[in-house]
Amino acid sequence: MDEITRGGIPYGATVLVGGTCGSGKTTLTMEFLVHGAQMGEACAYFAATEPSVKLLENIRQYTFFDMDMVDKGLINVFDMDVVYSWLGLTKATFDRDDINSLVKAITDIVNTIGVTRLVIDSVTTLCYKIPNDQLIRDFLFTLGKTLATQGCTSFLVAEITSAGAKAHWSSFGVEEAILDGIMVMGDIDRMGHLLRYLQVVKMRGTDHSRAKYAIELTPIGVMMTPMLKWGVDSD
Amino acid sequence: MIELDQRIAEQLTEITLSSSMQVRCGSSNSFLVTASLIEPLINEFQMGGVYISASRPAPELISTLTEIEVPTDGIQFVDCVSSALLGGTENPYTNISYIDSPIMLESILLRTLYHLRQMPTEQNFVILDSVNALAIYNEERMLAEYLHTFINTFRARDVLSGVVTVPDQTPPSVLANLDLYCTDLVDRGQVVIS
Repeated sequence: MDEITRGGIPYGATVLVGGTCGSGKTTLTMEFLVHGAQMGEACAYFAATEPSVKLLENIRQYTFFDMDMVDKGLINVFDMDVVYSWLGLTKATFDRDDINSLVKAITDIVNTIGVTRLVIDSVTTLCYKIPNDQLIRDFLFTLGKTLATQGCTSFLVAEITSAGAKAHWSSFGVEEAILDGIMVMGDIDRMGHLLRYLQVVKMRGTDHSRAKYAIELTPIGVMMTPMLKWGVDSD
Repeated sequence: MIELDQRIAEQLTEITLSSSMQVRCGSSNSFLVTASLIEPLINEFQMGGVYISASRPAPELISTLTEIEVPTDGIQFVDCVSSALLGGTENPYTNISYIDSPIMLESILLRTLYHLRQMPTEQNFVILDSVNALAIYNEERMLAEYLHTFINTFRARDVLSGVVTVPDQTPPSVLANLDLYCTDLVDRGQVVIS
């Protein structure tokens, strides 16, 4: 990733990681936190799509992940359902006040623990509770700005149904305009076989590569190589 | 027991780690040539390596190499054939990983790089067996591009690479590219029957 972004994700950037199911979003973002934890940084992972227990059980198969990081408080995993419960957010949809209290809760956690790397997986699940595009835009903009002010580099995971040429890079079409970076993860269908890929579409402040990279999820983490130019027709 | 080709072992003493060998063989001597290549790398040069088997299932290859007493413990096999065979991945070997199809060229490269990172040996090799098998599934332009990437990737990492090919069954443009990219040639393409 450092090579692709020509030096890494800028400090304090809020990056949208949009991807189809099974494209490696969770593994990539968790590896991002692990690298931070290995350098002694406090990291936070907000799990909105699956319970933290299930997430940790799945991620334990990777040798790059060490449960000690969780036990020592370097990687802190929060269930979004629990956060909603703390805040009394039991409604099906959130209004502006609810969104403000959610942003404040996340910011408080960042401040209290001193989080420098954060992942919300996924922001799509969270945004389903927000009834209109304007509120989604306000939520993400405020969240991104607040986290950047705290010096926190953040990955917001977005679930998309297709990563092809006609697809949006995000679920609601508003996320991509206001964030610092966009990474797309998806599959290339090559004669019925799915090859995972990653592409950095936008990364403010960097002279990043815009090429597609084939990726493999290995026990030691996500490995990448440039996608063959004669084999990049996507879904 | 088959007699290994000692001239290949002799030729290996003249190459460096960043070399890329084009290994030409005939359709009837490909196993002899690859075994003659692997044996000195393992026994004489104490190297470890990755063997990409796209021509035949890796269990079959391990079994045959074992029969002629070529050790395979230090080799990680990337098998591109067995997943397509029902029950092909059910075997006792732990040093085989499977790729769904030879069409997943980038996955083959990444899996190879992954195994190389896990190798306990300092000096390693990669054998790609074979260009012809990959050519069944991949069109010429993509295959030529892949070989270019493949060879240069390992040269840059000081990993000795050997690309096995049966010249008279290899697309001419791919063969021309191999001539261009590879630094060394092990030519056993002509089989003389005496």
